[in-house]
Amino acid sequence: MTQELVRMQNINKFYGRIHALRDVSLTVNTHEVVGLLGDNGAGKSTLIKVLSGAVPMTSGEIFVKGKEVQMRSTTDAIENGIETIYQDSALVPQLSIARNLFLGREPVKGPALFNRLDHEMMNEVAGTLLKRVGITKNIPPTTPIGALSGGERQAVAIARAMHFDSNLIILDEPTNNLGVAETQGVLRFVREVRDTGHSCIFIAHNIHHVFQVVDRIVVMRGGQVVADNIDPKQSTIEEVERVITGEHLIEALGLEH
Amino acid sequence: MDNRSLVQRFIAKPEFGPLVLLILEIAIFWSINPDFLSPLNISNTLAFTVELGLIALAMTLLMTSGEFDLSVGSVFGLSAVVMWTVFNTGIAPLPVAFLIAIGLAMLIGFVNGWFVTRLAIPSFLVTLGMLLIARGSALYITDGFPQRTWNAEDQWLAQLLVGDFYVGGFRVYMSLLWFALFAFLAHYLLTQTKAGNWIQASGGNPNAARARGVNVRRTKVALFMLSSAMAAFAGIISSIRTSAANPNSGTGYELEIIAMVVIGGTVLTGGRGTIIGTVLGIFILRIMRNGIVMVGVPGLAYNIFIGAIILGMMALHSWLERRHNAGT
Repeated sequence: MTQELVRMQNINKFYGRIHALRDVSLTVNTHEVVGLLGDNGAGKSTLIKVLSGAVPMTSGEIFVKGKEVQMRSTTDAIENGIETIYQDSALVPQLSIARNLFLGREPVKGPALFNRLDHEMMNEVAGTLLKRVGITKNIPPTTPIGALSGGERQAVAIARAMHFDSNLIILDEPTNNLGVAETQGVLRFVREVRDTGHSCIFIAHNIHHVFQVVDRIVVMRGGQVVADNIDPKQSTIEEVERVITGEHLIEALGLEH
Repeated sequence: MDNRSLVQRFIAKPEFGPLVLLILEIAIFWSINPDFLSPLNISNTLAFTVELGLIALAMTLLMTSGEFDLSVGSVFGLSAVVMWTVFNTGIAPLPVAFLIAIGLAMLIGFVNGWFVTRLAIPSFLVTLGMLLIARGSALYITDGFPQRTWNAEDQWLAQLLVGDFYVGGFRVYMSLLWFALFAFLAHYLLTQTKAGNWIQASGGNPNAARARGVNVRRTKVALFMLSSAMAAFAGIISSIRTSAANPNSGTGYELEIIAMVVIGGTVLTGGRGTIIGTVLGIFILRIMRNGIVMVGVPGLAYNIFIGAIILGMMALHSWLERRHNAGT
């Protein structure tokens, strides 16, 4: 049974006089990986920023598990179980893997007055999580993030979202600037995310990557959702590309000679 | 990672450079003038060292969070003047005057923090303004004259802050114990607590920290208040020890303190800080000041050595940093 997890309804966003989102509606179900595609300027990033509380919407409604919620800040989004992982802004490079995992929600042991971090627990959880997201290299959890590769950083950010039971994990261009092996790693985490009961919105320029992991493709163009139920198993990459660029409309109207 | 030996890991630590420098420095001064390590000279050096050191501890935490405070030298001078003015005019007894001075300093820190976090003005400019306001206030209150402090001797508070006792041949000042206590607390706070994690995250990547629910603003404001309070505490200790609350005292301390912190390995741009390094940095600079006089170099040449140490240590830190990054 699929259940509705997040529903965005009639979202409008103006940047000054620019109408960036026009009556956009988007639904994500539980246990679902949705691929969000669109050309540059199609409104993908704006939509995600609205959902993650980074920018306020001009009008519209957001429901989480059927209840209307207000997204005033990124903290609101996290409290509603929506975690957004941006390429580079998610982690503190100087802090260790374990310290990053628990940043803002650090476990404390002993009397409250001493405010003492539970290092053993943090390191232990971090170690197990790293194995779970497929980092097989023996990286100690005390390694600073700055010493990790791009793919390993993505893995840490995804591991964090999984550990704190985010219902919906939004991945913004997670495969940008990654090597082939690292990309495969990230795609594997996305499948793992779904298998452990989370939902995911996957944004990427590379349609091949999207096709490998998502259950459903949503396409945006010019601030509108132009297709929201493309099944990657029943369509080809070329068809989706035509929807993204809008060529299929031209074909349908018979304007081609 | 695992195949690196213990020695190599020790060398890679940011505190390693300052430690070697400190040992070298002591060895050189001692070999030129054996009196350098006499109990008298050690006690005298320590007494003066810890006053600046107290401020450097708080500054380390503040700089780790990505900000710094140029007004500490002025607050150092102002709070002593305020405390003694309140006491000498008979407005309040000494302990109350002490609390008033510390409270005023915390208010100054709060204003610094408010301007930096709410109005997003760089801390360089905000605290430069505050430097002038605090120094101007100290001069205005006193008409430029030092305040009387000599009836401090029969006060328990004065004894608690700067009293002394002998351990063998060493004269130990209470301020040294205060310094040791605060150094331990600051190290514990930075490395072992949730608050310490927030301080490092606020300096390392404020956007990521904010996105995780870390209150970056409140963290920074609290650290500005701490840095001002410590400057006031140090200024009061100094005024009792030297029996003078001079409105001009503390001039130029801010830069020497920032130098101590960066020599110890704390990064000016935030994210990484070390209290152990700062303690080493404090001793490197103060021992240099004492040592070059002891070995007969004219005291006026002091700044040449300090400048050379800063440049040398920065070069070393940047070299270690690059080598460290290349190795992983």
